[in-house]
Parts: sequence; structure tokens; C-alpha cells
Amino acid sequence: MTLLELVDVTASYGPVRVLEGVSLSVPEGGAVGILGANGAGKTTTLRAISGVVRTTGVIRFDGDDIRGLRPDQVAARGIAHVPEGRGTLPNLTVRENLMVGAYLRKDRRELATDVDYLLDLFPNLAARISHNASAMSGGEQQMLAIARAFMAKPRLLILDEPSLGLAPSTAKNVYEAIRRLRRESGIAMLVVEQNANLAFSIVDTATVLETGRSVLTGTSAELKGRDEIRRAYLGG
Amino acid sequence: MPKMKQLWSNRWVRLGVAALVVLILVLAPWNLDPATNQALARVGVFAVAVLGLNVIMGYTGQVSLGQIFFLGLGAYVTAYGVNEDWNIALVFLLAVVIPGIAGYVVALAAARLGGLAIAMVTIALPIIGVPLAKRLSDVTGGSQGTSARFTSAPDWFGADLDDIWQYYIVLAIAAAVFVLVHNLVRGKFGRALAIVKENEAVASSMGISPYRYKVMAFTIAAMIGGVSGFLYMVVVQYTSPETLAFHHSINLLASMVIGGAGSIAGSLLGGAYYVLVPNVTNEIDPTLTALIQGVILLVVLFVLPGGIASLPRVIRRLFQKKDGGGDRTAGRPTTATGTLKTH
Amino acid sequence: MGTFIQLVVDGLAMGSIYGAIALAIVLVNQSTGMINFAQGGMAVLSAYFAYALLGMGLPLILAILVAVAISFVLGALIERLLMRRFESGDPDTAVVVTIGLLTLITGIAGMVWSYNNLQFPSLFPPDSFSVLGAAVSWRSLGTFLTIAAIMVLLQLMFQKTKVGLALRAVADNPKSSAFSGLPVGRLLMIGWGLAAALGAVAGALVAPRLSLTPGMLDGALVYALAAVILGGASSPIGVVFAAWLIGVLENLAAVYVPFIGHDLKIAVPFVLLFVVLLVRPQGLYGRKTVVRV
Repeated sequence: MTLLELVDVTASYGPVRVLEGVSLSVPEGGAVGILGANGAGKTTTLRAISGVVRTTGVIRFDGDDIRGLRPDQVAARGIAHVPEGRGTLPNLTVRENLMVGAYLRKDRRELATDVDYLLDLFPNLAARISHNASAMSGGEQQMLAIARAFMAKPRLLILDEPSLGLAPSTAKNVYEAIRRLRRESGIAMLVVEQNANLAFSIVDTATVLETGRSVLTGTSAELKGRDEIRRAYLGG
Repeated sequence: MPKMKQLWSNRWVRLGVAALVVLILVLAPWNLDPATNQALARVGVFAVAVLGLNVIMGYTGQVSLGQIFFLGLGAYVTAYGVNEDWNIALVFLLAVVIPGIAGYVVALAAARLGGLAIAMVTIALPIIGVPLAKRLSDVTGGSQGTSARFTSAPDWFGADLDDIWQYYIVLAIAAAVFVLVHNLVRGKFGRALAIVKENEAVASSMGISPYRYKVMAFTIAAMIGGVSGFLYMVVVQYTSPETLAFHHSINLLASMVIGGAGSIAGSLLGGAYYVLVPNVTNEIDPTLTALIQGVILLVVLFVLPGGIASLPRVIRRLFQKKDGGGDRTAGRPTTATGTLKTH
Repeated sequence: MGTFIQLVVDGLAMGSIYGAIALAIVLVNQSTGMINFAQGGMAVLSAYFAYALLGMGLPLILAILVAVAISFVLGALIERLLMRRFESGDPDTAVVVTIGLLTLITGIAGMVWSYNNLQFPSLFPPDSFSVLGAAVSWRSLGTFLTIAAIMVLLQLMFQKTKVGLALRAVADNPKSSAFSGLPVGRLLMIGWGLAAALGAVAGALVAPRLSLTPGMLDGALVYALAAVILGGASSPIGVVFAAWLIGVLENLAAVYVPFIGHDLKIAVPFVLLFVVLLVRPQGLYGRKTVVRV
């Protein structure tokens, strides 16, 4: 069952076209990666899904056309977007950040349980639960961002470069947490990553972008050994 | 359209047009009645005031609500000096320097605060200025104000041609100021201001201190305000605390925006707007004046943010679009404080 | 001693008015990133609404409450229809738009109700009561307590309620908040509505004293802006305390410093600002840099 489907999506910032025709699909409970060098259009693809940029083409979620919806409307459909740079709410506490994540939920009683689960998964957050989010390290903020997205109980989690700016060991920890989340919840994921190895540790399939176009798609196993992967990253 | 551009780029054509304009300006008052000449002279006065405001607002991008204060200060200095029978050149100099010093001091403090602090602090200038003018009655004549008659036409010119004489004084001084500012803005200083306005971080990294340039621009704006105050006395020959009232401050700002922020021509149009439009609205209904002016300002901000001065450019762009070519390199859109700021 | 207490209480009352307007300015600045120079003008318009409702026969308290409600709606509409376009652009342009709004509002008030001073009744009795030899006016005390209570309520709302959390989140990072499903546009409208409602309360409370006229709060706006600079545009508590301080100091200066007197006391907050800057050259207020994702 396809959860998310993009067909021939273009995206523009004003008069400048950034995506020339991207197609991908994420199955229910599946994990898909978007790889590519800087400037290839990976972040823009996620932004296109969330309705932050002007797009043409087909963007379908759970069978419904979601192209043209506002970001908060897209979120209401069950897509949680962890943006590049984490999107932390710096002047709110860790707990408040999590509560914002749960904004759309109606089941207030379950919230406490979910918070406990996430604090167990991310002990660093538990230690700082009442501190301002701005006082945390990059890795901790990344975990907070993921936890916050998870509080929405989304059907699809989209992550923009979770390892960006993190030390290798921290990035590994973040990915371990993401893996555990996926295992225990069965949630579908779409992950943008520059670090192909990290990406392959959680995604089943991936598509490679180059200057706004998907140039290569396949399973992790297929893609891992390919020369084209190296070429796509180095742009030539 | 391209033919016009070609014509215009010819230096002789430009000089010819300029000479024609000068000729018209010089000969005009002889063919018009005194009331019109008076109005034109006033337009000149406030065009200079708006030009000063443009230096700090249009070109440097800092909202200032204090320009009318410097006009009033310049007028008061002029009145005092004239009534004390000082040399008129000295009076003019003081009318420029004293507001300049005041502006410098205010800017030193306000520019440090960054953000919209200059706007927030300058609003105090007219509001404190009015009671201050009333209080220092020995110097200012208090609530009654002071008059100073010093611009009666000399006998060799024509004894009852006061209005034309005053018109020429305003024309000469205003033209000089406009030329000075035009050169200033076209040169290195103007380019530095543009960078500060666009992005202060970039300016700093280029070695251009936003703080220093804001202070300089504000001081220049204040000095030009002082000049406009002197010219105000030339034409009106009377000043009072009302001259620097808060609502005048707002009208001056509105005139700048409507005329065209960051533009020489816009300053002229702004001066014309300031003087002529209230006359018109008062004919319609005095109680509606503020309302109409508010509506005009908002409409301009929404529809024509570059002011009337940007109208030719906007029309040209509309025609270019109709011709089917997307005008991708048309330059950045203008906002109420001149070209677009990115932060 | 008696005079001193009187002056302090009166100063706290006027300071509360400045503080309410300043708080409204902070609220708008936090959510939409602009300084609203029309905040005082909007408050005056609200007072005129109450005046009109009074004229229709409503009791005073009801007239004020209805005017506050109308102001909330009006504030929300102004954000949506007028200001929305300028929120993501240059803050200085936004300020000019608010100045245009101020002109428009002043014009409307002048057209509908004329520029004459109008009498506006007070919620509190005109008498005073005795404390330590001072005659403390009920009006001053009432104004101070009412606004202080409203500020406490606002603070509670922001810290303890879901909508308060949402408003703070949107002010902190609107793009990221949208990703969590927050209806950013609607929340901005609520922010402006609250600010307008707060201003309405201040307008209605101070109108009896200043008498109702379109430019009634022009002076108060200047004080409010000084409070915003001194207290910090992102600190509601700092701004309120700065406003109270300004209110008290100007009153004391008016009486104890003969040179200043009542007409020049408006210079006091700026002298204060100057002194502060001499001590702390970096100033107390920096432009809020919002990291937009």
C-alpha cells in the first residue's frame, strides 16, 4: 500500500526552478531515503511535500491529493516534518517543545504516556525536561526535534538531514534512536541524508537526486555498491 | 521605448533638457500670481525637508519621525539670529550647524540601539520639542512664536516683488542642496549607505560600520532639516511651537513615501504632496483631511511602494510583461524605504 | 511624605497605561516581528467605541467590555487584511504601514466624533482615601490594580494554556510551528486581537483623565516605546516594570525638579534612556533575529 506518492514534481522559489521532475513513493510502514549532493534539491523535495514551495505535479498522501495544502494542513493529514536545522523552539522548554508537537492530538490522556516513552528513548531529554531548548547541544536538539515530531503520532515522519552538523558518534546515536522508533512503532519514514551509509542503515529503498531530478532509484542493497552513488555525490 | 533610452543616454540631450528645466524654473514666477509663487516656494521648502528625511530613511533605511524637529529648530535659530541682527550668512550657517549637532547627539545614542530604535526615539523629538519651545519663551517667543522679516525684496530687484524674491532664494538654496545630495548619494558614501541598508552584517564584514554611517546619515539629514527650516523662515517669516508638531512629522514621512523613498525626484514630489494635497482636502472637507491622507498612504504602500517617482518604472515593466518577455532582471522590487532589504 | 505617596500611586496608574500599550506592542512584535506605531491609536478608537455604546444606553462596564470584544475582532482583522503582507518583509516598511494605519484611525475618529475633547466617565469613584497622610485617588489605584490583574491573567494564559503555548511557539519559530500543525495565520490574528483588546482596556481607563480626543494617546505611545526600549522588546515583564518606573519617575520629576515641571516631564524617560546608554553602551534592546527554518 503506497502511503506517499510523488510523480514528476517540480518546485520553484519564485522564478527559479529547483526541482525538475522528482518521483518517489513510500509504502505504508516503509523507509525511503533521498540522497544527493548539496544543492541537488533534497530539502526542496521535503518542502514540496509540506507545501512550503510552489509545485506542479502529483503529490498524494494516502490516496488524497495534498499538493497546495498549507504546511499546518499537511501536518494535520499525518505527516510530521523535522526540518533542516531541527526547527527547535528555543525559548520554550523541552517539555513545551514536546507539547507543541502534540498540538493536533485530541487524546490528551495518552500524552503523558508518550512523553514518558520518548524520555526513556532519549535520556538526555529527560535530564533537561524543564530547561529551555536553546540550552542544549546540537545532538540533543536533533533528538528533541525527532521526539517532538513523534508526539504528533504521525503516519509518516520526514527527516531532513538528521546528521547535519553532528559529530559522527552523536549522529550514530541519533540514528540508533530512529531505528528503534521505527522498529517499535512501524511508522513510515522519508529521510534526506548526505551521509549515504547512515541512510542505508535505516532505509529500504532510496532515490538519488542530481540537479533537481531523480537519477537513480533502488533498494539499499542495490545502491550500496554502485559507482554511480559516488558519482552522484561528487557531481561527476 | 528603446529610442527614448538612446536619446537620453546622449550627454547633450541631458544637458539640453536640464537647461530647459532651469530656464522654465527661473522664468516661471514672472508669469504666475504671488499666491502660486508662494505655494511653489513652500514646495521647495518641504522638498528639501523631505530630501533630508530621504537621506536617513530612503537611502539608509532607518525610519525617522524627527525630521520636522530639525526643520523647526532651524527655523527658530533663523528667527533668533535675524531678530538679533546677525549677519545673514552666519544665521544660515547656524541654522545648519545647530540642528546638525542636535542630530548628531541623538544619533549617537539611538543608532547604538539598533533595530527600530531610531524610529522609536525620534518620535520623542517633536513631542518633547513642542513643550520645550513653549517653555524657552525668552529665545523662542513661547506659544506665540516669533516672526522675522528679512526677505523683503531689495529695491534694485523691485520693491513689491517679495514673492518672486523669496522664490529665487528658495530655488537657489534648494537646488544647491539637491545637487549636493545627488552627488553624495551617487558616490562612495551613497553606496556605503545602500549596503548598510541592505544588510548590516554584510556591511560590517566589508569594513563599513553600520553605526558610523547611520550617525553620519542622520546628522546630514538633520543639517538638511536645518536648511529647510531656514527656507521656511524665508517664505513664512514666522515660526511657533506648532511648526514642529507631531502630526506634521507624520505628514512629512507620508509625503516622502508617497513621493518616492530613496529618490531625488521623489523628494520633489513629496514636497509638492506635502504642500498641495492638504489644500485640496481642506477644500473638500477639513475633518476628512487626516482620513484621506491615511488612505492615500496605505494605498501607496500596497500598490506602489516606491511612491509616485517609481510610476514610470512600474508602467515600463507592465508594458514589458505584455510584450511576452518575463522581466527577470528588472531589478529588485521597491519597498517604502527604497529598495528591498534582505536580512 | 503624603505628596510622595500620591505621586507614586498616580505614577503607577499612568505607568500602567504606558505598560499596557507597551505590552501590546511587545505582543505584536513577538508574533509578527514589527513595532506597531498605531497601538495607541487603536486603543483610542476602542475608547470611542465604548463612548458610542454608552451613548446607546449601555451601562459603562458593559460598554467597555463590548468595546474590548470589538477591538479584539478588529485587531485580528487588521492583521489578516492589512499587515499580513508586510510581516515577512523589511520591518521598517512594516512600521511605515502602521504609521499609515495610525493616520487612518486618527482620521476616522476625527471624522466620526470630531476633534473636540469629549467627556468619558470613570469606572471608579472620583474620591480619595487617606493612607499615611496621603490622599490616594480611587481612580489611580483602580487603574493600577485593574491593569496589573489583567497582566497577571495574560501571563497565566501564556504559560498555562494550550493557546498560550501555541502563541509562544509561533512567536519563536513560525515555520517550524506550522510543521507541528499549528495554524500560524489564525494564531497571528489572535495575537493582534489580544494586543488590541489590551489597548482597549487601557484606553477606556485613561480616557476619563485625559479626555477623549483622537490624539489622546500620542504622548502615551512615546512613553510606551521608551518602556519597550528600556525593558527589552522580547521581555513582557521587563517592559511593564520599565513602564511603571517611567510613570513614577516622571511624576516625581515634575514636582521635585522645578525646571522640568509638568510640561517637560515627557523628557524624563529619554533622559533615563540616555543615562542607561552611557552606562551600558550596547543598549538594552537588540533587534530580534528570528532564525527561520
